[in-house]
Amino acid sequence: MKTLFLTAFLAITIVSCNNKAKETETNATETQAGSNELFACPMHPEVTGKKGEKCSKCGMELTEPVAQGQPAHDSTHDDAAQPTADETAANATSAFSTDEIIANYLKIKNALTKDDANGAATAGKELYKTFNSADASGLTAAQKKEYTDIAGDAKEHAEHIGDNAGKIAHQREHFAILSKDINDLIKLLGSNKKLYQDHCPMYDDGKGAIWISETKEIKNPFYGSKMLTCGSVKKTL
Amino acid sequence: MKRKLKKVGIALFLVLIAIQFYQPALNQNPGQDYTNDFLITTNAPSNISKLIKTSCYDCHSNNTEYLWYDYVQPARMFVESHIKEGKEELNFNEFGSYSNRKQQSKLEAIGKQIKSDEMPLTSYTLLHRDAIINEVQKQELITWINSIKQNSLSEK
Repeated sequence: MKTLFLTAFLAITIVSCNNKAKETETNATETQAGSNELFACPMHPEVTGKKGEKCSKCGMELTEPVAQGQPAHDSTHDDAAQPTADETAANATSAFSTDEIIANYLKIKNALTKDDANGAATAGKELYKTFNSADASGLTAAQKKEYTDIAGDAKEHAEHIGDNAGKIAHQREHFAILSKDINDLIKLLGSNKKLYQDHCPMYDDGKGAIWISETKEIKNPFYGSKMLTCGSVKKTL
Repeated sequence: MKRKLKKVGIALFLVLIAIQFYQPALNQNPGQDYTNDFLITTNAPSNISKLIKTSCYDCHSNNTEYLWYDYVQPARMFVESHIKEGKEELNFNEFGSYSNRKQQSKLEAIGKQIKSDEMPLTSYTLLHRDAIINEVQKQELITWINSIKQNSLSEK
């Protein structure tokens, strides 16, 4: 019974995700022309309308803010852990480079989009090493405290991803939390690379999860080939 | 042939006796400070507290309630390495000293591990039958963990 329900659910979402690619193009123009407060269905990003309206496909409330030209502020799904006022700190010059951390994170991400658990594990181990050898002495005291918290947590997730080559679902659980950490790290210390914060509304029983990507094109690391193009760009980092 | 077998048997028996003498330090700290304890800092209700203590604390705290066969080698080595690993991952006695970020992330992981039946380990519940979490208890636990997750988020 449980599997039956699960397959039915997957079937529905796969179909809806396939539709998405076709329909977003037509919807894009509508979105531009509409009023400036648009929200989309968390399950069907192509269905948009005013806040409080119901999705025409599944009846869920439209809760996802839609980006229109300027980056979406994403108030409903961002955690309290992501302060916006701190964003200026990202541009502060510091001796610390996040490049290697981000590069290894992206390697994990790209392996997961390909359902490559072994590749993710290798990259996870590299990220773990990077965190261990990172030298935070160039940071200010305030930055350092937050960096230590972030790195301490992220390191553990990297280690778990590295240790679970056979369990891609478990790797993805850790990847979801790791992505939040990396997002906060970029907010704190910046990045030399142009990056995108993407959002998958379905992951974790519909609670949703974010990931960081170097490309604008959506490649979902939480579901891989099952629904690769599912998700949306939330903002540019 | 028979004599050879007997020899091997005796040799194995002697090894078994010999390894009994290797008894690593027990995971027991009678003077444990509970100010940073998970169940204390979160003010866990008694049913949840009992459940977590029975099912998790043997490997995820500084005090293990050993059973008689836990003292017998080679079970002893196996048990001790599990406890070491378990405590490294998550020590409920020290939970309060974790950074907020780490606490949140641990809560997330605890919920996931219980939900997917990864924890408690089957190798542990095989002999510790009282540590098995049934479906009703599982729901209670997950609901409670989710509730404290939100609490600490709003505190920020």
